[in-house]
Amino acid sequence: MVQSASLDHTFAALADPTRRAILSRLAAGEATVTELARPFEISLPAISRHLKVLEKAGLISRGREAQWRPRTLRASPLKDAASWLEEYRQFWEQSLDRLEEFIGELKAKEPDDEPQR
Amino acid sequence: MSLSGSVLTERDLVLTRIIDAPRELVFKAWTDPDKVARWWGPKGFTTVDHDMDIRPGGAYRFTMRSPEGTDHRKRGVFREIVAPERIEFTFAWAEPDGRLGHETLITVTFEAVDTKTKLTLHQRVFESVEWRDSHRTGWTSCLERFAEYIVTV
Repeated sequence: MVQSASLDHTFAALADPTRRAILSRLAAGEATVTELARPFEISLPAISRHLKVLEKAGLISRGREAQWRPRTLRASPLKDAASWLEEYRQFWEQSLDRLEEFIGELKAKEPDDEPQR
Repeated sequence: MSLSGSVLTERDLVLTRIIDAPRELVFKAWTDPDKVARWWGPKGFTTVDHDMDIRPGGAYRFTMRSPEGTDHRKRGVFREIVAPERIEFTFAWAEPDGRLGHETLITVTFEAVDTKTKLTLHQRVFESVEWRDSHRTGWTSCLERFAEYIVTV
Protein backbone atom coordinates (compact mmCIF):
# COMPACT_ATOMS: atom_id res chain seq x y z
CA MET A 1 0.00 0.00 0.00
CA VAL A 2 1.18 3.49 -0.85
CA GLN A 3 1.62 5.83 2.13
CA SER A 4 -1.31 8.23 2.31
CA ALA A 5 0.71 11.24 3.54
CA SER A 6 3.18 11.06 0.67
CA LEU A 7 0.27 10.68 -1.79
CA ASP A 8 -1.29 13.83 -0.33
CA HIS A 9 1.99 15.67 -1.04
CA THR A 10 2.21 14.29 -4.55
CA PHE A 11 -1.38 15.17 -5.42
CA ALA A 12 -1.17 18.64 -3.86
CA ALA A 13 2.00 19.29 -5.86
CA LEU A 14 0.33 18.09 -9.06
CA ALA A 15 -2.79 20.21 -8.50
CA ASP A 16 -1.19 23.27 -10.13
CA PRO A 17 -0.88 23.73 -13.93
CA THR A 18 2.49 25.57 -13.71
CA ARG A 19 3.97 22.76 -11.62
CA ARG A 20 2.65 20.15 -14.04
CA ALA A 21 4.23 22.08 -16.92
CA ILE A 22 7.55 22.19 -15.01
CA LEU A 23 7.42 18.42 -14.52
CA SER A 24 6.62 17.86 -18.20
CA ARG A 25 9.62 19.99 -19.12
CA LEU A 26 11.85 18.01 -16.71
CA ALA A 27 10.58 14.73 -18.19
CA ALA A 28 12.53 15.79 -21.30
CA GLY A 29 15.74 16.22 -19.29
CA GLU A 30 17.28 18.25 -16.43
CA ALA A 31 17.09 22.04 -16.50
CA THR A 32 18.22 25.07 -14.48
CA VAL A 33 15.80 27.44 -12.72
CA THR A 34 16.31 30.09 -15.43
CA GLU A 35 15.57 27.54 -18.16
CA LEU A 36 12.47 26.39 -16.29
CA ALA A 37 11.21 29.96 -15.81
CA ARG A 38 11.60 30.95 -19.46
CA PRO A 39 8.27 29.67 -20.90
CA PHE A 40 6.24 31.28 -18.09
CA GLU A 41 5.09 34.85 -17.60
CA ILE A 42 5.98 34.73 -13.93
CA SER A 43 8.93 35.89 -11.84
CA LEU A 44 11.93 33.80 -10.82
CA PRO A 45 10.89 33.90 -7.13
CA ALA A 46 7.46 32.56 -8.14
CA ILE A 47 9.12 29.71 -10.06
CA SER A 48 11.34 29.04 -7.05
CA ARG A 49 8.28 28.70 -4.85
CA HIS A 50 6.79 26.12 -7.24
CA LEU A 51 10.12 24.27 -7.32
CA LYS A 52 10.16 24.18 -3.52
CA VAL A 53 6.72 22.53 -3.47
CA LEU A 54 7.84 19.96 -6.05
CA GLU A 55 11.05 19.32 -4.11
CA LYS A 56 9.18 18.86 -0.83
CA ALA A 57 6.93 16.31 -2.54
CA GLY A 58 10.06 14.49 -3.71
CA LEU A 59 9.12 14.97 -7.36
CA ILE A 60 12.34 16.76 -8.29
CA SER A 61 15.88 16.88 -6.97
CA ARG A 62 18.76 19.37 -7.28
CA GLY A 63 22.05 18.66 -8.96
CA ARG A 64 25.26 18.78 -6.91
CA GLU A 65 27.01 21.44 -9.00
CA ALA A 66 26.61 24.48 -6.78
CA GLN A 67 26.64 27.00 -9.60
CA TRP A 68 23.95 25.63 -11.90
CA ARG A 69 21.98 23.29 -9.67
CA PRO A 70 19.95 21.79 -12.48
CA ARG A 71 16.66 20.20 -11.42
CA THR A 72 15.94 16.57 -12.26
CA LEU A 73 12.64 14.72 -12.29
CA ARG A 74 12.24 11.97 -9.70
CA ALA A 75 9.82 9.36 -10.98
CA SER A 76 9.04 7.22 -7.95
CA PRO A 77 6.28 9.40 -6.38
CA LEU A 78 4.67 9.66 -9.82
CA LYS A 79 4.87 5.89 -10.12
CA ASP A 80 3.14 5.54 -6.73
CA ALA A 81 0.42 7.97 -7.84
CA ALA A 82 -0.04 6.03 -11.09
CA SER A 83 -0.36 2.68 -9.35
CA TRP A 84 -2.77 4.19 -6.83
CA LEU A 85 -4.92 5.47 -9.70
CA GLU A 86 -4.72 2.07 -11.38
CA GLU A 87 -5.87 0.34 -8.19
CA TYR A 88 -8.96 2.59 -8.17
CA ARG A 89 -9.63 1.97 -11.83
CA GLN A 90 -9.69 -1.78 -11.21
CA PHE A 91 -11.75 -1.35 -8.05
CA TRP A 92 -14.45 0.56 -9.93
CA GLU A 93 -14.33 -1.51 -13.13
CA GLN A 94 -14.92 -4.69 -11.12
CA SER A 95 -17.59 -3.01 -8.99
CA LEU A 96 -19.40 -1.86 -12.14
CA ASP A 97 -19.19 -5.39 -13.59
CA ARG A 98 -20.90 -6.65 -10.46
CA LEU A 99 -23.43 -3.79 -10.59
CA GLU A 100 -24.44 -4.79 -14.12
CA GLU A 101 -24.84 -8.40 -13.04
CA PHE A 102 -26.86 -7.39 -9.98
CA ILE A 103 -29.12 -5.10 -11.99
CA GLY A 104 -29.78 -8.00 -14.35
CA GLU A 105 -31.01 -9.97 -11.32
CA LEU A 106 -33.10 -7.00 -10.10
CA LYS A 107 -34.77 -6.65 -13.50
CA ALA A 108 -35.67 -10.34 -13.52
CA LYS A 109 -36.88 -10.41 -9.91
CA GLU A 110 -38.56 -7.07 -9.33
CA PRO A 111 -40.26 -5.94 -12.52
CA ASP A 112 -42.82 -3.97 -10.47
CA ASP A 113 -40.12 -2.28 -8.38
CA GLU A 114 -39.74 0.46 -10.96
CA PRO A 115 -42.11 3.38 -10.27
CA GLN A 116 -42.19 4.87 -13.79
CA ARG A 117 -40.92 3.50 -17.08
CA MET B 1 8.71 9.56 -20.39
CA SER B 2 5.30 7.97 -20.72
CA LEU B 3 4.82 7.32 -17.00
CA SER B 4 4.90 10.96 -15.94
CA GLY B 5 2.86 11.82 -19.03
CA SER B 6 0.01 9.53 -18.05
CA VAL B 7 -0.04 10.73 -14.45
CA LEU B 8 0.12 14.39 -15.43
CA THR B 9 -2.67 14.25 -17.97
CA GLU B 10 -4.82 11.69 -16.20
CA ARG B 11 -5.44 13.68 -13.06
CA ASP B 12 -8.94 12.37 -12.58
CA LEU B 13 -10.42 8.94 -12.99
CA VAL B 14 -13.39 8.92 -15.38
CA LEU B 15 -15.30 5.74 -16.24
CA THR B 16 -18.48 5.39 -18.30
CA ARG B 17 -20.78 2.43 -18.67
CA ILE B 18 -24.01 1.84 -20.57
CA ILE B 19 -26.23 -0.25 -18.33
CA ASP B 20 -29.19 -2.07 -19.80
CA ALA B 21 -31.80 -0.85 -17.31
CA PRO B 22 -33.86 2.32 -16.73
CA ARG B 23 -32.04 4.94 -14.70
CA GLU B 24 -34.53 4.84 -11.79
CA LEU B 25 -33.44 1.26 -11.22
CA VAL B 26 -29.73 2.04 -11.59
CA PHE B 27 -30.10 4.99 -9.22
CA LYS B 28 -31.83 2.74 -6.70
CA ALA B 29 -28.98 0.21 -6.90
CA TRP B 30 -26.60 3.07 -5.94
CA THR B 31 -28.68 4.61 -3.15
CA ASP B 32 -30.45 1.71 -1.38
CA PRO B 33 -27.90 0.54 1.25
CA ASP B 34 -28.79 -3.18 1.02
CA LYS B 35 -28.54 -3.04 -2.77
CA VAL B 36 -25.19 -1.21 -2.71
CA ALA B 37 -23.88 -3.91 -0.36
CA ARG B 38 -24.60 -6.50 -3.06
CA TRP B 39 -22.23 -5.15 -5.70
CA TRP B 40 -19.83 -2.51 -4.32
CA GLY B 41 -16.38 -4.03 -4.30
CA PRO B 42 -14.06 -6.02 -6.53
CA LYS B 43 -14.87 -9.51 -7.78
CA GLY B 44 -14.97 -12.07 -4.97
CA PHE B 45 -15.35 -9.47 -2.17
CA THR B 46 -18.34 -9.49 0.17
CA THR B 47 -19.82 -6.69 2.27
CA VAL B 48 -19.81 -7.84 5.89
CA ASP B 49 -21.01 -4.63 7.54
CA HIS B 50 -22.61 -1.45 6.25
CA ASP B 51 -24.27 1.71 7.44
CA MET B 52 -25.39 4.41 5.05
CA ASP B 53 -27.23 7.65 5.78
CA ILE B 54 -28.32 8.66 2.30
CA ARG B 55 -28.82 12.43 2.50
CA PRO B 56 -26.53 15.43 1.94
CA GLY B 57 -24.13 15.50 4.89
CA GLY B 58 -24.97 11.89 5.80
CA ALA B 59 -22.09 9.49 6.39
CA TYR B 60 -21.59 5.96 5.11
CA ARG B 61 -19.26 3.15 6.14
CA PHE B 62 -18.84 -0.20 4.47
CA THR B 63 -16.61 -3.08 5.44
CA MET B 64 -15.79 -5.46 2.63
CA ARG B 65 -13.97 -8.75 3.02
CA SER B 66 -11.52 -10.03 0.42
CA PRO B 67 -11.57 -13.68 -0.74
CA GLU B 68 -8.49 -14.15 1.51
CA GLY B 69 -10.45 -12.88 4.53
CA THR B 70 -8.91 -9.42 4.90
CA ASP B 71 -11.31 -6.61 5.81
CA HIS B 72 -11.18 -3.23 4.01
CA ARG B 73 -13.13 -0.25 5.33
CA LYS B 74 -14.65 2.42 3.11
CA ARG B 75 -15.75 5.73 4.60
CA GLY B 76 -17.25 8.95 3.33
CA VAL B 77 -19.95 11.58 3.40
CA PHE B 78 -22.66 12.29 0.82
CA ARG B 79 -22.45 15.82 -0.57
CA GLU B 80 -25.31 15.80 -3.05
CA ILE B 81 -28.19 13.50 -3.98
CA VAL B 82 -30.34 14.44 -6.98
CA ALA B 83 -32.69 11.56 -7.82
CA PRO B 84 -32.36 9.97 -10.32
CA GLU B 85 -29.60 12.04 -11.92
CA ARG B 86 -26.58 12.40 -9.70
CA ILE B 87 -24.89 11.58 -6.43
CA GLU B 88 -21.70 13.04 -5.03
CA PHE B 89 -19.74 11.73 -2.06
CA THR B 90 -16.33 11.77 -0.47
CA PHE B 91 -14.36 8.54 -0.27
CA ALA B 92 -11.42 7.29 1.76
CA TRP B 93 -10.06 3.94 2.93
CA ALA B 94 -9.89 3.66 6.71
CA GLU B 95 -7.15 1.86 8.60
CA PRO B 96 -8.19 -0.59 11.36
CA ASP B 97 -7.27 2.12 13.92
CA GLY B 98 -9.69 4.54 12.24
CA ARG B 99 -7.12 6.74 10.47
CA LEU B 100 -8.30 7.78 7.02
CA GLY B 101 -6.27 7.52 3.84
CA HIS B 102 -6.17 10.06 1.03
CA GLU B 103 -9.64 11.53 0.60
CA THR B 104 -11.21 11.92 -2.84
CA LEU B 105 -14.48 13.24 -4.23
CA ILE B 106 -16.67 11.04 -6.43
CA THR B 107 -19.52 12.16 -8.67
CA VAL B 108 -21.75 9.58 -10.35
CA THR B 109 -24.22 10.75 -12.99
CA PHE B 110 -27.05 8.73 -14.50
CA GLU B 111 -28.26 9.71 -17.95
CA ALA B 112 -31.25 8.09 -19.65
CA VAL B 113 -30.39 6.82 -23.15
CA ASP B 114 -33.60 5.30 -24.61
CA THR B 115 -34.38 2.47 -22.19
CA LYS B 116 -30.77 2.24 -21.00
CA THR B 117 -28.67 4.28 -18.61
CA LYS B 118 -25.33 5.92 -19.25
CA LEU B 119 -23.43 5.92 -15.97
CA THR B 120 -20.42 8.21 -15.59
CA LEU B 121 -18.15 7.93 -12.59
CA HIS B 122 -15.74 10.78 -11.93
CA GLN B 123 -13.23 10.47 -9.11
CA ARG B 124 -11.30 13.64 -8.40
CA VAL B 125 -7.95 12.76 -7.05
CA PHE B 126 -5.72 15.79 -6.99
CA GLU B 127 -8.14 18.49 -5.93
CA SER B 128 -8.99 16.77 -2.71
CA VAL B 129 -6.51 18.48 -0.41
CA GLU B 130 -7.29 21.95 -1.71
CA TRP B 131 -10.98 21.21 -1.74
CA ARG B 132 -10.85 20.21 1.90
CA ASP B 133 -8.81 23.31 2.76
CA SER B 134 -11.20 25.60 0.90
CA HIS B 135 -14.03 24.03 2.83
CA ARG B 136 -12.30 24.75 6.08
CA THR B 137 -11.84 28.38 5.02
CA GLY B 138 -15.54 28.55 4.20
CA TRP B 139 -16.52 27.42 7.65
CA THR B 140 -14.03 29.73 9.31
CA SER B 141 -15.37 32.82 7.53
CA CYS B 142 -18.91 31.67 8.33
CA LEU B 143 -18.07 31.50 12.02
CA GLU B 144 -16.34 34.88 11.87
CA ARG B 145 -19.46 36.44 10.38
CA PHE B 146 -21.56 34.80 13.03
CA ALA B 147 -19.27 36.23 15.73
CA GLU B 148 -19.56 39.69 14.16
CA TYR B 149 -23.32 39.37 13.99
CA ILE B 150 -23.76 38.15 17.53
CA VAL B 151 -22.09 41.24 19.04
CA THR B 152 -24.51 43.53 17.19
CA VAL B 153 -27.68 42.00 18.66
